[in-house]
This record gives sequence, structure tokens and C-alpha cells, in this order.
Amino acid sequence: MEERTQAYLRGRFGDHYRRSEFTPPPDANEREWGFIPWTDGPSETMVRHRSLLDLGELGEFLQRKRPKHVYFSAGRYRDPSASSMSAKEWRSSDLVFDLDADHLPAVELGEDSYAQMLAKCKDALLRLLDFLENDFGFEDLTVVFSGGRGYHVHVRDSGIQQLERDARREIVDYVRGIGLEFEQLVDEETVAGTAGRSSPAQKRTLSTEGGWSRRAHRHVMSVVDDLLERDEETAIERLREYEGIGEGKATAALSAARQNYDRLAAGNIDVHPAFFQIAKPLMTEVVAMDNAPIDEPVTTDTNRLIRLPGSLHGGSGLEVQRIERDDIDEFDPLVDAVPETFRGHDITIEVTDGGPVELGGDSFTLEPGIGTYPEHVGVFAMARGRAEKGPE
Amino acid sequence: MQPLHARYPFLQSARDAVEEAAVDLGEVVATDEVVVERARERVEWAITDGSVGDPHRRTRVELLSYPVARVLVSLVDTPVCTRKYAQAEAEAARERFVEEFTADDSFSYGDSESLSLSALLAEFDLTAAVHETADRYRIDVGTYLELAADQWGDEWRLVNRALTDGEVPVTTEELHTLLKQAIRHRIDDGLPFEVPDAIADELDAEVESIQTTLSDLDLTREIDTVVPDLFPPCMQHLLDAVQKGEHLEHHSRFALAAFLTSIGMTTDEIVELFQVNPGFGEEATRYQVDHIRGDTSPTEYSTPSCATMQSYGDCKGKDDICEDEINESHPLNYYEYRLDETDDEEVEDWRENEDEDDSEA
Repeated sequence: MEERTQAYLRGRFGDHYRRSEFTPPPDANEREWGFIPWTDGPSETMVRHRSLLDLGELGEFLQRKRPKHVYFSAGRYRDPSASSMSAKEWRSSDLVFDLDADHLPAVELGEDSYAQMLAKCKDALLRLLDFLENDFGFEDLTVVFSGGRGYHVHVRDSGIQQLERDARREIVDYVRGIGLEFEQLVDEETVAGTAGRSSPAQKRTLSTEGGWSRRAHRHVMSVVDDLLERDEETAIERLREYEGIGEGKATAALSAARQNYDRLAAGNIDVHPAFFQIAKPLMTEVVAMDNAPIDEPVTTDTNRLIRLPGSLHGGSGLEVQRIERDDIDEFDPLVDAVPETFRGHDITIEVTDGGPVELGGDSFTLEPGIGTYPEHVGVFAMARGRAEKGPE
Repeated sequence: MQPLHARYPFLQSARDAVEEAAVDLGEVVATDEVVVERARERVEWAITDGSVGDPHRRTRVELLSYPVARVLVSLVDTPVCTRKYAQAEAEAARERFVEEFTADDSFSYGDSESLSLSALLAEFDLTAAVHETADRYRIDVGTYLELAADQWGDEWRLVNRALTDGEVPVTTEELHTLLKQAIRHRIDDGLPFEVPDAIADELDAEVESIQTTLSDLDLTREIDTVVPDLFPPCMQHLLDAVQKGEHLEHHSRFALAAFLTSIGMTTDEIVELFQVNPGFGEEATRYQVDHIRGDTSPTEYSTPSCATMQSYGDCKGKDDICEDEINESHPLNYYEYRLDETDDEEVEDWRENEDEDDSEA
């Protein structure tokens, strides 16, 4: 990035910070702060181990320093500006989740457009929120668009503040479905033999009470419902897709499902050995469908620095934006996170890396060379390193 | 001082009772041999048997032996001793409260004298976090994680639990295990602490006796198990590097070879383990390992401590066990801890695997 481009972006970031209301996170004075200033060359150095005492009032700091990126810690400390973690004296940490398009299995890098990646990321966000709100029952959630390729969720319920790394890893594994054991999900109960059978039988059930077990059960039932809607032939065909299931087992499983719908709905998946055999691969399917592929180190690290909501992302010129829970469905990052400051007028840029850009609800094609574009498109292209500031 | 306090000396009310009785610990250790003897027994039984031995018939002796035992553990100041002690005290408490919770009235100690579940929950501030249901309990997930995070076994993993609305269902027996963990945390808490010289001097003989017990234990349990998955992160890192064919500094190679030697590997086995790396110098490795073992040199070298590993920049990937369990003491302590904590059945010696591979090939 050339110096004039840098100077321009820095100046415009400053204009943005002067115009916007800024709400700091709770307990801002107990947190560590860090930022990356605009510098020449590709190397970026983070200035960190700062406290609010060092920075001053945040809104004022942002206007004065106009940094490229701004971060604050998930952790709270007695002395946040101490230079080592042990000297900081950790007190507590929010639980932070990071969904990044780069890490999503659903995203096809190089194939998906930025908008498509972000849409897939939002699907993952909704799955994550289902875990956090319904399984974990968390109440103090802040959902944030990262300004880049994904979303962050900050959980600040008091019950998780003291958790250490191991405990946080359990939460990560839970939402990712790592370590899920079919045998553990299934409750095995020995029941007395039914009439005509002398030996006691095993009754294996999925708990419909909660957890992955309930998710697995829902999936089993959706498969059952789908089977029962089909005619005999296509239902059998569908069942034979599972490994080790031939015509005979498929027919037996299907008729067991028809005859025992209520028992299945109550969690008993042991209605027939062939049916039970099919239930097992469904667990693998449910993990693939329902898990939220969060970035583990972000959540387990109690000292992690995270991008500050309300700041601008120096690699996109988009706002790191808090999203109200009810607005998530409607939220379009490529429209809603475009800062007001950069809207409504055009600038000249020199495009070095042309191609399509979707932003502000519109599509543009950047043509190599000097051209005039809406400012938010120009800022985006420059921040991404696809253009330099053009002559005035 | 009530019998209840002697049975559960970690309770706040037991601590208060000792304080109210204005017991001077310095005087106890100087004059009350029975108490000191019982305290030594608590610690030594913990090391050798995982229990705290039979209670002394006198309430006062039994109760006072607990704070004295904590002093002894602090003086011995060895992670393995502290861990085994806390574990044994917690297990003893669990056995007692399970018996009391399930005893019918004729066996109970009477209301004021027995420990109820609600009293135990209140003791650890768990009343609000544990909810009784028709046939079991539900625990708030944060509390569950604090108490279950270091339990081994898939059934404790949160992912396998029917978590809903922030609560984890547990059986009565599981609740007891989690309560034991709460007790263990409390006993562990603050250990080891600084002991005034005046008290320490009185306990020289007991501390020495416990140290002997500990070293006897080490002799009988000398490590001869090779499970790379349980290696400390620093050694895993070095082993990875060797196997990838990266060049290791002399001190790094030395540290790894010394570690592998101390866990019972022969020179041949070490050479074999290194050999995944095609570019490795077999002769050089053989020479170095022999040298460390003392075969080709007058000295037998030992594995560097954590401090030495750190100063050479070989301490990599430090984790919770390094920091909290072995206090960054020694890579071998880490390995020993992991071996201890892992079910024997799950420990699979690398050398046995190798043999199998060979026989298949």
C-alpha cells in the first residue's frame, strides 16, 4: 500500500470515528487493549499490553490515533497493562466464539464469492446461537460482524467467567460435536423379556431431553418421516444407501418404523436390529449437519484479543458491527456494515487488481487503471490491497 | 469439636471449631505426638494406598491431625505428594458421605452429627447450581464443567451429555463424584503453603519419613512405559521435529534422547523411533544415546528440568498440566502424571505396537 493511500484511509477512518457514537465493552478498564497502526510495507506490528489508562477515553483515542485495527481482551485483569500474562493477574474472561469463512467446511475457497462466504458463515452463526441459547442457556450474548470474513459471539454470563482452558475446550468440542460417542448417547436399559422370550432384552433409547442426543433423535425422526412419506420402493432404495443394508434389512427396518412410530418418537431406536443399525450412521450425519465449526483457539484462550465492536476493519473498511439478536436474519454485512461516512460520494482510485465487487447492495466491476467509484467501494478496494488512491 | 468435624475436617465448621478451641499448631506439633503420628499416617497412607488410614478413636486427635497433615504436605512440597494426598482425603470423604446419605436411620449419627447432601452442597456454594429432579439431578453447566473438566472418561465429556437450557442431568452417583471433586479442589487449594520455621523444625523426622516413602514408591514404579501420546508437549515437539527430518540443535537432541532413555527405552528402540526420518544419522544417534546412558562415558546424564528446557528454548507448547499440575518442574513429572491419570487399560506401549506391526509385515 502506497503512502498516499495509507494517509487517505487513515484520514477517512478518523473522519468516521469523529462522526460515530462509540459504546465500549463492559469493564473496559480491566481489559488489555491492542491496535495495529497504519505502516508502510506488508508487515504489521501490534501495539499491545495497553490499558485504558494508557490510551485515554476510547472514542477520543480512536479519533486521535485512527488505527488500522483495534482489539480488546476477552480477559479482565488486575493490571491489564503489565507486559506479561502472569503479571497482569487474570480475573475472568468472556467466552468468545469466532466463525471465520476460511475455516468453514461448507465454504469453497476460490469458488464462493465474498457474499456467498458470508451467507454460509451466517448459517453457521445461527447453528452456533442455537447451541448457546438453547443448550447452554446463555443470556448475555453479543453478536458481532467481524468486518472481515465472519462473525464473533461474546458471551458474558457470570457462570462462564471463571472457566479455565480445559473447561472451555469442552464447550468448543460440544458445539463442534467432537468426541461424540454413539454408545454414550444411547441409554441402554435391560428390560424383562416380553411374552414368549425368556431372556431379558436390551432397550436402547436416545434421550429426547437435550444435548446431541436430542439432535440425533430429531434427525432420526426426520429420516423416519421422510421414509413414511415415500412409497415402498423409493423408501427401500433410500435405506439401502446405508452401508451393510440390503433388501431384507431395509424391508425389516421400514416395516419396524411403520409399526412403531410412537415408540420411535419417544426415543426408543431399538425397534428392530436393522433399524438400530441404520440409526448409528445417522449420528455422523447429524454432527456434519448441525455442528458449528468455530475456531477453537479463540474460545479456549482466556487471554485472547478480539476485534473491537464499533471499530473499522483496516482490511475491508467495513464496520465491526454489533447485531441485535432480532436483526440477525435480516442482516446483510455487505450493506449494513458499510460505514455511513463512506457513502454518498465518489472518489478516484487506481485499480491494480480488477474484478467484481459486491457492496452497498450493488455490484461493481473494478477496471484496472484509474477510475471513479463510490467511496465505500474505493475504500474497500484500497483496504483489500486491490487499488491505490488515485489523483484528486 | 464434634465427631462430624473429625470425619470431614475440610468443612468450614471444622476449621472454626479448631480456631474456637484456640489450638496452637506450634504447640501441637511440639507436644502432641499422637496427633503428629496420625498426621504422618494420613499422608503416608495417601501415598501408598490412596486412603487416609483408619481414623483415630479420639475426635480431637483425628481432627487436629488434618491441619498437621497439610503442614507435612507443604513441607514435603512435591507435586506428586500433594496430588495423592488431596485425592486420598477427597476419596475418604466421599466414601463417608455416600455411606451417610444412604444409611437408614438406625445407622445414622443423628441429625446434628451426620452430613446431609444439602449441607454439603451449601458448604461448596452449590445449592443454587444443583437442582433435584424426580430421579436425579441437574447441574448448571458452568459448575459441571468446573467439576468435571478433569474427570477421565467419555461419559463425562459435555458433548455426550443431554445439556439443555444450561443444565446437565447427572445421576446421584455422578453427583457424588462431582462433590468429591469439589472437596479435592478445596483440599488442594493453598497447598503447599509457607510453614514457619518453628513448626517445620519440629516435623523434620516426619517429613523425612514421608520423603522415604515417596522415594520407595518411585523405585517400585520406575517408568518403563512408552506412550508418545502422553509425552509432555516439549518432548512431543522434539520427537515430531526429529521424525520430520528437521535439524535439531545438540541440546534439543540431547534432551529428547535423555528423556526417552529415562522412560525405559533402549538405544535400539530410540534409533528405531527416530528412524521415521529418512535423513537421520543412525550412527550419530546411537553414539549420542549410548553416551547419555553412560555406556560410552563415565557419567549417566539425566533429562533436563523444565527450567533448563526453558532456558534453551526447548520448552514449547506449555499446557495446563505443565503449569498447574507439575509446576513446571520436570518433563518426567509431566509424563508420570499423565500415566497416573490414564486408565491402565488405555495405556498402550508403543513398543508393543511396533512388535505387532512387525509381525504383520
